[in-house]
Amino acid sequence: MKHLTTTVCAVVLGALAGPGIAAEPGATDQPIRIAMLEWTGAQITSQIAGRVLEKAGYKVEYVTAGNYPHFQGLADGEIAVSPEIWLNNVGDIYPKVLAEGKVEDLGSLGLETNEGWIYPKFMEELCPALPSWEALNDPACVALLATPDTMPNGRFLDYPADWGSRAATIIADNSLALTAVPSGSEGAMLAELRAAGAAKTPLVMMFWAPHFILAEVEVGWIDMPPCVQDTNEHCIRAPDVNKAVWSGFKDKWPAGYEVLKAFSVSTEDQQQMMLAIDQNGESLESVADGWIAANEALWRPWVDGALN
Amino acid sequence: MTGPHPVSAQNRIWAGLLALCLILTVLAHFCPWLRNFPAGLTLPLAEGLNLAVTPLFEAARPLGRIVAVLVETPLGLIRAGLAWAPWPAMVLAAMLIALRAVGRGFALFTGAGLLAVVGMGYWPKAMNTLALILISVPLAVVLGFALGVLAFYRPRLRPAVIAALDVMQTWPAFGYLIPLLLLFGFGPTAGLAASVVFSIPPMVRNTLVGLGDVPPAVVESALMAGARPGQLFWQARVPTALPQLLVGVNQTTMASLSMVIIIAIIGGFNDIGWEVLSAMRAAEMGRSLGAGLVIVLLAILLDRITRGLAERRDPRLPRSLSGRGLAFGFGAALLLALALSGQDLLPGDAGQRALRRLDGWLLEFVTWSAPFFAVLRNVITWGVMLPLRLGFSGSASPMVWGFALTPGVTLAYAGASAALALGLGWRRPGAGIALGFASLLFWTGLPNFPWIGVFAVIATATWRAGGAGLCLLALSGLGIAGVSGLWGAMMQSICLCAVAVLICFAAGGALGVAAAQSDRFSAVLRPVSDTLQTMPQFVFLIPALMLFRVGEFTALIAIVLYAIVPPIRYVEHGLRNVRADLVEAGRQMGTTPWQLLWQVKLPLARSSVRLGLNQTIMAALSMLVIAALVGTRELGQQVYVALSKADAGAGLVAGWIIACIALVADRMLRAPAGVQSE
Repeated sequence: MKHLTTTVCAVVLGALAGPGIAAEPGATDQPIRIAMLEWTGAQITSQIAGRVLEKAGYKVEYVTAGNYPHFQGLADGEIAVSPEIWLNNVGDIYPKVLAEGKVEDLGSLGLETNEGWIYPKFMEELCPALPSWEALNDPACVALLATPDTMPNGRFLDYPADWGSRAATIIADNSLALTAVPSGSEGAMLAELRAAGAAKTPLVMMFWAPHFILAEVEVGWIDMPPCVQDTNEHCIRAPDVNKAVWSGFKDKWPAGYEVLKAFSVSTEDQQQMMLAIDQNGESLESVADGWIAANEALWRPWVDGALN
Repeated sequence: MTGPHPVSAQNRIWAGLLALCLILTVLAHFCPWLRNFPAGLTLPLAEGLNLAVTPLFEAARPLGRIVAVLVETPLGLIRAGLAWAPWPAMVLAAMLIALRAVGRGFALFTGAGLLAVVGMGYWPKAMNTLALILISVPLAVVLGFALGVLAFYRPRLRPAVIAALDVMQTWPAFGYLIPLLLLFGFGPTAGLAASVVFSIPPMVRNTLVGLGDVPPAVVESALMAGARPGQLFWQARVPTALPQLLVGVNQTTMASLSMVIIIAIIGGFNDIGWEVLSAMRAAEMGRSLGAGLVIVLLAILLDRITRGLAERRDPRLPRSLSGRGLAFGFGAALLLALALSGQDLLPGDAGQRALRRLDGWLLEFVTWSAPFFAVLRNVITWGVMLPLRLGFSGSASPMVWGFALTPGVTLAYAGASAALALGLGWRRPGAGIALGFASLLFWTGLPNFPWIGVFAVIATATWRAGGAGLCLLALSGLGIAGVSGLWGAMMQSICLCAVAVLICFAAGGALGVAAAQSDRFSAVLRPVSDTLQTMPQFVFLIPALMLFRVGEFTALIAIVLYAIVPPIRYVEHGLRNVRADLVEAGRQMGTTPWQLLWQVKLPLARSSVRLGLNQTIMAALSMLVIAALVGTRELGQQVYVALSKADAGAGLVAGWIIACIALVADRMLRAPAGVQSE
């Protein structure tokens, strides 16, 4: 009975997803190596993508890999898939390997992202104008943020220097009395945010979503001033998150290629899973197994569409 | 009342330089291009390097892939073997080895430590790390020993080898990660290559020192006994040098373990380094501390067991475990391994949850201590970090020190400095000139010292200390920094490192002296030193960040915690190995303990102390890249920026400047002492 329901669902959803492009399975005896990058969200995406590929009859292997170095592996075919690439954090290397034709971008993963300036929620008592950006024009509020090395300006914790950042430009555009301080690493940003939340130290920083810390520390997002110019330099836009494969992927695993093209993850699901892992201490594997068991209606059409 | 001390030619040169710098500083207040290296003079150095380097590495790629296969095949086998063996069998085997090599107490420690690894849920990752170490340490020890022997028998090669070692130890691995990835492809080999490059130098140095310190009497008696060259080497020189060689093996092991993190940055091995990195990324202290402790434990086990096996080669010494007992034990372990099935025995994630609880405690502590640390942070920033960066002229503003830089304040500063310098210089011209430079430096702050002055002072100092070669090296470093637009970053790096080295050498030296006096203190200090040197610095960064926030002071803490170990070790080692008859002679002459230390022991231990200072500087410079993770603005940060842009050239340039600073600092420190001893 359950099987029948699934099939019906699959047919309906398959029809909704459009005509599947039937493809050969290809080299099912050789494992598809999937990148597992440093952050929990990407690891969940990798594990789910791997399980879906397994359902399509492939062997998979998970390769832990650093964000920047892994592009080299992807270009060489050492890594076959990288299912969650944040295009705001790819340096110059990703555009380079794309241009060389060594890597193929498979389009959006489907995550709804956000990027902007955040503050720990308690600051709304200290700077009542928050979440409006006008609060940062209030000298009393700026004084709360000031530190010895930014005096008389307030301190703004920026992305690490190697991520590239627009905060300084936007601060200048709006003549805010803030000084952008580069944070050095994601860990440093999180440590500061946690400490600020716990010790009630005022803080304004650049950040993005989805991120597990947002479930742990209560933050507000600043309503940003209008952009001076509609360019990346002067404007914060939600970053795109895409999937990418090694350029030889399509010929080696044709059906797997179609599965990955259809593959997507919803922000809601990813956030739930991040919470389960980072807050409740569940293992990555069991959380991913749980998603596969609960969402067959979602992934079955990707598999069937590719194979049939 | 005597007249002024006669001024030597050398002092006249320095006085002239001081006058030049003074004029430049005054002028720099009117023409800013005198302060920092002019931006107009930059050259596309990194771009040029990329054009040359990238094709070269891509051409060498087939060779790199062969090496990768040669390394990764045994690595894969070891890894598979370690993954197959169930943990009870491995723990038993490790305890047997510990019992045989060291003794009963250490065997129990081994068992308890490894059980903790299992309990924390890190066993599979720890075995992957062990596989990496089992490849990289033997490789580094063999290569390092061979290089040391070569340099020992070919004295003409020695300066080049030693220079290469300094470069290898200080050129940040991140700086050449991109070329290594181009060469070996994505995988553990690129990281292993970086690890071997970094961990060879202590082996070479200790081989050189050990072979060099073999008393001529030993060599002569071996020759008289008719030893052939091979016998002379293996049966006379090497056994005599063995204690020093073992220091080398020990330090190489420690260095390899500290590189586990670098290997993990590339990834591909799911090891403990990866765990530390992921935990740092999530700012989770508990998890990173647990993973860090696994690395420390591995270091202690490898260190004690290798030392134990080497020290107990004498068959007459009693052992806790006989050869037959060992064989029997291993048989039992093998049976255990065959009877049990692999990874099913691993415990659940209770250990991980316990580790996460630490983060809660840390946050409670941060909440509770926030007011105290806020004050401490501000005092240190106002009193130490800002004056160092901005100097008196920058700090004397209403925002920082609460008073403005009025003409009166300026005149008072200049007058007081001049009076002090002249007063001191009347009797001792050298001291007066030094004070003049110090007050000038304190006025501008190190990063804003006029760049022409830096060139002139460094050129003179290096020329006098090491001749044209050293001078050229120093000027090339400064010049490259200038034309690549890294002048400010370089001055920040020097500033940060200089403060760190001063703190480390004062505190670490004192600890080393204390450890040499008291066996008990030494026994307590040794595991602390081992922990500091092998615990990944990332672990300390998280609490430091929470208490001191992003910035230079947190970076300074990280650097000091790592670079304090060499002075402790080398000062203790040097003092303990002072010849007993000389100490006795000093004592018979009626010296106080204090005089004995300062006038007998420390001068006799000079070569060891100097090696310690050398290693402190190297360690501090090597930490710059880690320090960049807490948001510094110096050369280490530039290395990251280069890595993120996959810009091999920029990484090499920033790395070369760091290595250049290390080489020059080392030679400068070595030169005057070297003149004395001759």
